[in-house]
This record gives sequence, structure tokens and C-alpha cells, in this order.
Amino acid sequence: MNFVILYGTESGNAETVADDLVDELSADNDVQSIDMTDVELDTLTADAFYLVVCSTHGDGGLPASAVPFAEVLDAEQPDLTGIRYAMFGLGDSSYETYSRGSERIDERLTALGATRVGDYGRHDASDGSLPNDTALEWVRNLVAGLDADADADADLDDVAAVAR
Amino acid sequence: MVNETATPAEAAAPAEAAAPGAAQPAEAPLSAASTPPAAAPAAPAAPRVAIVGAGPAGCYTAQFLRKRWPDASIVIYDRHDAPYGLIRYGVAPDHLGTKAIAKQFDRLFARDRVQFVGATDIGTTITLEQLQAEFDVVVLATGLWADRVIDSFQTDASAPVPSGVYGSGRLTRLINGHPAESTEGLHIGRRTVIVGNGNVAADLVRLMLTSAEVLASHGVTADVIAALTAGPLEHIDVVGRSPAGVAKFDVAMIKELAKLPDVRFTSDSAEPPASAVTPDAPTLDQAKAAAIRDLVDGSPATASRTVAFHFGFTPDRVSGGERVERVTFRATDPTALPATLELAADSVCTAVGFTETAGALLRRDAIASPTADLEHGRLADGLYCVGWFRRGPVGTIPANRADARTVADAIIADVEAALHTSPQLIKETR
Ligand SMILES: Cc1cc2nc3c(=O)[nH]c(=O)nc-3n(C[C@H](O)[C@H](O)[C@H](O)COP(=O)(O)OP(=O)(O)OC[C@H]3O[C@@H](n4cnc5c(N)ncnc54)[C@H](O)[C@@H]3O)c2cc1C
Repeated sequence: MNFVILYGTESGNAETVADDLVDELSADNDVQSIDMTDVELDTLTADAFYLVVCSTHGDGGLPASAVPFAEVLDAEQPDLTGIRYAMFGLGDSSYETYSRGSERIDERLTALGATRVGDYGRHDASDGSLPNDTALEWVRNLVAGLDADADADADLDDVAAVAR
Repeated sequence: MVNETATPAEAAAPAEAAAPGAAQPAEAPLSAASTPPAAAPAAPAAPRVAIVGAGPAGCYTAQFLRKRWPDASIVIYDRHDAPYGLIRYGVAPDHLGTKAIAKQFDRLFARDRVQFVGATDIGTTITLEQLQAEFDVVVLATGLWADRVIDSFQTDASAPVPSGVYGSGRLTRLINGHPAESTEGLHIGRRTVIVGNGNVAADLVRLMLTSAEVLASHGVTADVIAALTAGPLEHIDVVGRSPAGVAKFDVAMIKELAKLPDVRFTSDSAEPPASAVTPDAPTLDQAKAAAIRDLVDGSPATASRTVAFHFGFTPDRVSGGERVERVTFRATDPTALPATLELAADSVCTAVGFTETAGALLRRDAIASPTADLEHGRLADGLYCVGWFRRGPVGTIPANRADARTVADAIIADVEAALHTSPQLIKETR
């Protein structure tokens, strides 16, 4: 599969998550990781599956590196129909705006026609733990789900082939 | 002499042997900001880099350089035994999420083959010149460790400053278990005045009103808890120079104070006229003023502890006998009324920023060459600066990441340009 990780980070934690996802997935897949700041809208493609990793800054705001991406989405309003993505949000539940930063990106992607797939992964830093292990568990479940869907599709194709 | 354990060859070797992540792919080519010059050499550079200071600025710089140069030898020196600077000795112990940023830096040393050399003060244990002779690139990320003092509190020499005035740097180091701090002479008492209205002042308010049990659960030692709670503290005045709307606190810090049990908050801030507030999209100024107002309105009418915010007052002097008894402020705006504010106090905590330590051997302005380009952290040939040491004592941890990216990009550009014009340059000095 072709995975593209888009990360939005403030302190760098989301970037280390992206690094770990690259390590985890690269044995069996094409993977690249891009800071949201550096994303060019016309490279977004339905041929890739996007893993969006985004933290929260301050009082529920977007992390610095996600701000330009959100701005360009708002300004250009691209049609993202056909684009599939999964979300992983970082936050701290000692603030009432826990994980809100990632939701701000998720809301935009959905509103522009993209489809979110799988569980919305979240990590809560209020206990001082790192998000990386939670994210790895999330991505393993996600990939298992995607594989199962692909098998089911393949089975359907087989059934269709037999019936024909 | 250069300390044996600190030579880069020795230092890097054990880490390299123990580096399971050695095959980690470099992602640098994906980042627009670090695109190599068109004629960049095919083989990535492998310069020898020394970073002085293992706080966030130094660690983020190491991360960016490691991504670009998988084979560089990178050593981070620190005068403390343990790394992470103010993440360890400044950030409040109950802010676990912020403290956890240090865990991403653990990976530098555990897996990304960056070497940490602690207990090494650059300037004394090793001189800067020795370091420059050993390394292609030296980056100063030493921060600013002295509490800025309030000049007007330093009355004339004939009338010594009464005791009981403490800097926020000392207090937060103490709370964080800094090895060189002790509770000796520390007496907070029943009433304290915190001067300053930044996030460090908010940290102090919160920590001073946090129960002994909770402090202990965050690893604050018994002697420090005893010193903080001995009063017991009944009242805190928090005094800032500016109006509430432009106070330096972050809104999230003020909202957090609302969780403290049994505290009544008051504020002398004038309400902004309703007509001045844009209800749908409040400006930051309005959001700050509103956060203070909500804190005050949401707090109980009676409580056993009180916190009073005063906005728009500049510190004037401390008075008392041997110990402080009173602090006087005057209105920052000379036309404002009341013109002065006088507060009774058993102690005073100043949280008005940081500066270079008196007698520090590494001083930015003394080191900078006439051709320095401070905006990109270039101090002199092969010598760089980053973090608070570069840009002054402002900005949170993430601001140092942005800073480190800028400075790392400058370092990369310089080294790769030199390599391009004279490829032997780096190898020859080996
Ligand atoms: C009390 C306090 C609380 C804070 N709380 C927060 C918070 O909750 N969240 C947040 O985002 N930001 C917080 N900040 C801000 C944050 O700590 C700074 O932005 C950041 O630490 C600056 O990074 P730095 O690497 O430039 O400096 P530092 O963190 O100060 O690191 C400098 C390092 O250099 C070492 N060093 C100095 N001189 C030498 C020498 N001569 N030789 C060898 N080593 C040397 C020091 O030991 C230290 O480890 C707080 C700051 C303070 C003061």
C-alpha cells in the first residue's frame, strides 16, 4: 500500500510519531512522511492512504506546522472527494480542549469531501507518557482493518467472477 | 587539557556500537526548507558537531542536524549531570505533558547516536577554543539562567535589601530538585507578593496553592514542600505592569488556576466596555481579560486562600527591617489612579524574566564577531547560537524548535557550501 503521513507538530512529538509510523510501515509498504507545512495541495491523491497525525497547541489551537495547511485548505477549498485518511490526535486531557487541534484538521478534510477511515486514534499526554506506542497500536489495528477490507473486496471480486 | 571522556572520538564510539536505529532513513530531502543546493555533493556531509547545552534548543538542533547528516558525529555537552535544561529544572512538575517532551529527546541518545556528555562546563572544564579546535561546528545553546533583578528593589548600599525576596528561577529550580539549590533561608510566610504576570508567575501561584500530597506525588521533596507550605500561605498578590488584556499569561494557564480548590480570586482590572468586545471572534486581548474575569467570577465568595490580581503597576521598592514587610508599586500609566499600590508581604517572588548569569564565561555579545548574523544564529566562522541564548528569554519550548530549524538550516547551508567549494576541508581536519 501507499501511505503518506501528514504531521502537524508544535513541540516535535507528532513528528517522532510520524518517524515511528514510517519505521513500522516501510517493510511492507511505500511510505513517506511530510510536515503539513510543506504539503502541496495538488499532490493529494486518491492513490495514497493518508495518516494524519496532529497535536494541539495551547488552548485548543492548531500546532504551528499545521496552520499553513489549514489556511490553504480554507482559502482554496479543494475537492477532496476520493481521498481516504485516518486520524491520530495528540493532546492533554488536563485541558478542556483535549485533542482539539487534530479535530480542526479532521473537520476541514471531511467538509471538503475526504473520507475518514478506521478509529480516531488519540493520545493523552496528561500522565506524561509518550504518544508513540499508542500510535503504533493504532496503526497496526488500522492496517489490519484495511487489509481485511481489501480481502473482503477481493472475495467479492472472486464471487463476482464465479457468478459471471 | 580537553577532558578525556569528552573527546568526540571516544564519546561517539560506545553510542555508535549500541545504536539499533542506525539504519533509520533520513527524511531531510522531503523537507522544503532543507533542500540541498543544486550542485550538492553526492555523499552527505559528516561533520563533527558539538552542541553546548542540552536544553530544548540544543536537543532540537541535534534532531535537525541528525536528520540531514546520518553520519555526523554529534556531541551535546552540559554542565549539569542530567540533560534537558529548563524542561528538567524550570517547567512545573505538575505539567507532565510538557515534561514529557524530554522523552522525545531521550531517543537522540538511545537510538540516534547523539552523545551526551554531562557535568562539563564549557568555559571552565573545556574552553570554547578547545571545543572549536576539535569540532567543525560548535553551537551554543546555553540558555539564560539568572533571574532578572528589579533594579529599584536594590536600594542604596547603606540600606541593604531586606531578606525574603526570591527569584522565580531559584524557586522553580528548588521545586524541581536542582542539585545546587537548598531551602536555606526560604520563608514564604502567610502573604506573598508575586511580581510579574507571565506564565512563570502563574506556575508559582498554582504550585504555591497545590496541596502537599499532590506536590509529593509529582516528586517534590519533603523539605521543599515543608518550606512552601509552612506559612501556611493565605494570600497571594500578583502584580503586573500591563493591563490584563496584554498581560503575558497564556489563557490556558489562567483557566488551569480555576481548578485549585478553596481559593477566592479577585482582580482590580477595569472591565473592558462591552462595546469594545467582539463576541464571535474575541481578540487575544479580550480572551485574556475574559479568562481573568471568568476565573474571578467562578471562584467562591469565601475561601481560606485568596489571590488578588493587580494590573498596571510597576515595582518601586521593598521595605521592612531585616525581612521584607511591605512592597510598593506605582501605576505604570502616570495618569492612572490610584497612583500607588502598597502591599503587606512576608515574602516577595520576582518573576520578571531571565538574563545572563553574572560572570558567565560564554556571553553572546562578547563572542559575536563583527560579521555575526544573529538572525540565523551565526556568531562567527563555525560558531552558532540557538534558543534563549540567541534570542533572549522569551518563548516556550516549541519556539525553540522553530529556532533550531532556522539555525540548523544555516549550519547545513554553510557546511555544505564549504564542502562544495573545497571537499577536503572537513576530511583534512580529521
Ligand atoms: C520557570 C520556567 C518554567 C517554564 N515552563 C515552561 C512550560 O511549561 N512550557 C514551555 O513550553 N516552556 C516553559 N518555559 C520556557 C522554556 O523552558 C524555554 O523556552 C526553554 O527551556 C529554552 O531552551 P534553551 O535550550 O534555550 O535553554 P535551557 O533550557 O536553559 O537549556 C540550556 C542548557 O545549557 C546548559 N548550560 C548553560 N551554560 C553551560 C555551559 N557553560 N556549559 C555547558 N552547559 C551549559 C544548561 O545546564 C542547560 O541544560 C519555562 C521557563 C522557565 C524559566
